[in-house]
Amino acid sequence: MMVRQWVTGNSVAVTGSCLGLLSLPFGWLTLKASRLTAGTSLRLWDAFSWGVAAAIIVLWLLCLALSLAERDKRHAITIGITANAILILTFIFAGPAANRLTATGAEFARVSLSAGVWVTVAAVYMLVFAARQSLPDYRVWQNLISWTGLAAVVILLFTGWLNNISVVQEFLGRESRFQQELVKHIFLFGGSVIAGTIIGIPLGIWAARNRRAERPIFYFANITQTIPSLALFGLLIAPLSALSFAFPVLREFGIRGVGAAPALIALIIYSLLPIVRNTFVGLRQLDPAVIDAGLGMGMSRPQVFRRLEVPLAAPLVLEGVRTASVQAVGLTAVAALIGAGGLGWFVFQGLGQAAPDLIILGAIPIIVLALFVDAVMRTIVRVSTPKGLATGTS
Amino acid sequence: MIKLEQVTKKYGATVAVNGLSLEVNEGEVCVLIGPSGCGKTTTLRMINRLIEPTSGRILVNGKDTSQVKPEQLRRSIGYAIQSVGLFPHLTVATNIATVPELLHWDKTRIARRVEELLTLVGLSPAEYAGKYPSQLSGGEAQRIGVARALAADPPILLMDEPFGAVDPLTRERLQAQFVAIQQELKKTVILVTHDLDEAIRLADLIAIMAAGKLVQYDTPETTLSRPASKFVHDFVGSDRALKRLSRISVESFIKSAPTVTINASIKQAEAAIGSRRSAWVVDDKGQLLGWIDRTDLSQVSSISEGMVTLESKDIALWQNATLREALSRMLGQGFKSIPVVDEDTKLIGEVTLGDVEAATAEAEE
Repeated sequence: MMVRQWVTGNSVAVTGSCLGLLSLPFGWLTLKASRLTAGTSLRLWDAFSWGVAAAIIVLWLLCLALSLAERDKRHAITIGITANAILILTFIFAGPAANRLTATGAEFARVSLSAGVWVTVAAVYMLVFAARQSLPDYRVWQNLISWTGLAAVVILLFTGWLNNISVVQEFLGRESRFQQELVKHIFLFGGSVIAGTIIGIPLGIWAARNRRAERPIFYFANITQTIPSLALFGLLIAPLSALSFAFPVLREFGIRGVGAAPALIALIIYSLLPIVRNTFVGLRQLDPAVIDAGLGMGMSRPQVFRRLEVPLAAPLVLEGVRTASVQAVGLTAVAALIGAGGLGWFVFQGLGQAAPDLIILGAIPIIVLALFVDAVMRTIVRVSTPKGLATGTS
Repeated sequence: MIKLEQVTKKYGATVAVNGLSLEVNEGEVCVLIGPSGCGKTTTLRMINRLIEPTSGRILVNGKDTSQVKPEQLRRSIGYAIQSVGLFPHLTVATNIATVPELLHWDKTRIARRVEELLTLVGLSPAEYAGKYPSQLSGGEAQRIGVARALAADPPILLMDEPFGAVDPLTRERLQAQFVAIQQELKKTVILVTHDLDEAIRLADLIAIMAAGKLVQYDTPETTLSRPASKFVHDFVGSDRALKRLSRISVESFIKSAPTVTINASIKQAEAAIGSRRSAWVVDDKGQLLGWIDRTDLSQVSSISEGMVTLESKDIALWQNATLREALSRMLGQGFKSIPVVDEDTKLIGEVTLGDVEAATAEAEE
C-alpha cells in the first residue's frame, strides 16, 4: 500500500519536502563578530521564534502530505504556493532577526544566512520544479509558482528589509562595482551568444548542405567543447598578447592577452557547438518530400529556404541558442580570472579573501540571470514554433 | 501536349533513362509503370526539370522546356507525390494556395480557389481549411496534395504514386474520385505507379518501362490483350481477363435491390422479398444495416431480431467502384450479390454475380 502511494505521489516533490524538513537541524543564521571571523550559528527557533519555526514545520509537513497524495492540479498548485510561502516567510523573518542581532552584537557584527536557509531555498525550488511539471497546461500557474517567491525576495531587497544581512552589506559596500560587473557580465555573455549565433548558423547551414564540410566543422566544434573553460581562456592569452605586441594598434580596440578580448573569443567558441549542431539537425531532419514538393511546385531555391527551411528549422535553431545562452552565463563567471570582469569577479574575490558572503554575492545573481535567460529563450522558442508543429495540437 | 524525344539520363556510368520517346496528347492520362529502378520517376521528374536530361529534348506545348526558366515551368505544371510533402507549418488552405501565391494572385481569388478545390476533392472547406497537416489522415493528406497540385489550374499534372501511401480501401476511393475529377477537368496527366491495377483503371495510355527503356505504349485494352513482348506478358500476368474488369465501373450494373426498413412489419418484409431469398435491411435514413433471410422471417417477431448485421464499409461497394472490386467482394464474402452504397452509406442497389460474369464474357470477345 505504502509502495503504491510512493509511486502515485510525486517523487521529486517528496524528496523536496524531506529536504525542507532536513533543513531544520542546521543553523539558519550565523552571528559573527566581524566579516572574517568564525561565528556562532543559530537554529531556526533561536534565530526567529518558536511560532515561526512551528509555522515553517507545519508548511513542510503539508507539502510532504500533498506530495504523497495522488497527483492532481489542485495538489500541485497548493504545493507550489506553500513552497513560495516558506521562502517568503524565511526572508521576511530573516530581516528583523538580523536587525535585532546586529543591534545587540559588537560594532562590526555581521549576520549571515547559513546552511539552513540555503537548504530551504534548494528544497523550495525542488517543489516549484515538481509543481511546474505537474501543471503542463496551466502556463499562468506555472509562471506564478516559479516567480512569486523570487519577486518577493527582490522586493524585500529593494525596500531595505534585508539590509542587515551580510550579503546585502557586502553589496551595499560595492553597489557601483556590482552594477558595473553585472553590465560587463551581460555584455560578455550576450555579445558572445550573438556573435556565436551569427557565426554558428551559417556554419550549421554549410554543414547541412555540404557533406565534405560537415566533418571538419563538427570536429572543431566538438573538440573545443572538450577543452576545460579555464584552459581555453588561458590558451588564448599567448596568441592574443603576441598579436597585440605585433600590432599595437589592436590595443586601441582593447585587444590584449587578458581582458575582454580573449574572454569573448573563448565564449564565442563555446557557444558555437550547440548552435551549429542544432542548425544542422534542424535542416537535416526536414522531410525531403517537403523540399521536393516546394521545388516541384515552382519555388526558387531562396523561396524554399525562406518559406520552408527557415520556419521549420527555427525552433531547433533557437533551442540551440537557448542552450548556448544559459551555458554562456555560467562560463562568463570564469572569465573574471583573466581579467574580463563580470559577476565572477566577486566569486574569485570572495575565494581569495575567504569571505563566503562575497562569493554568494557573485553566485546568486549568476544563477538568477541564468534562470531568467532560460525563461526568456524558452518563450522565444515557443512563440517561434509554427502552430502546426507544436506538439499536442488538436 | 507533352513530347519526349530521345531523352536519356545518365548518372556516371549507369543509364537511368535510355533514349525514351513518348507523346501524350491533351486531356489524356498516361501512366508510367514498370519494376522499380526502371526510370519511371526519373522520367517524370525530367518533365518539370527537377532532373535535367543528359541528352534529348522535352517539349511542352511545342516549346522546348530547357528554354523555359525551371520555376516558371513548374508553376504551370501540377505536381503531386507519394509522400505528399504537405508543408507541416502551414494550414491546409495555405498549402493549397502555394502556387497561386507564387503567381501573385489576389487574396479573394486565392480564397475562392481554395474553397473550390476543397469541395472538388470532397472535403468540407469550413472544416478543413484551418487544419494543419498533422491533423489529417493519410487519405485526407493525399487529397489535399492533389488539390494543391491543381491549385493554379495547370493544364498538365505530374503525379508520382499519388495514391501510394494509403490503405487499399482509401486508395480505391481516391482512384474513383480521381476518375471523376479527371472526367470533369480533362487535364493532361502523367502518373507514375507500380500498381498495374491502378494503371489499368486510370490510364488512357500505359507506358511500360524496363531498364530505362519504353517497352510498350498502348491503351490498357491493347496492353492486356496483345502484350508486345514476353516481358510485358509476364508483367501484366495471367489474370488479364480479371484485370480488364478494373476498367469497368459498377455504376451501369447497379440494379434495384429488395429492401426493407428496420421498423417494417414481418408482413411488409415478406412482400418486399417476394420470391427472392433475402433482402437488405436499412434504417429510416436509408443507410445499410444488414440483411435478412426469407426463411428466417417466419421464426422471428421483428426484423431486427432476424437481421444479420453487416459492417457496410467492409461489404458494401461504393458506387464508383469497379467490377473487379465487386467480384473480389463476392468471392471473399461468398455472396451472390453485393450491396452498393453512396457516400453517406445509403443503399442505392446491388450488383449480382450473373451481371459480372456477363461483363467478363463480353470483355473476352
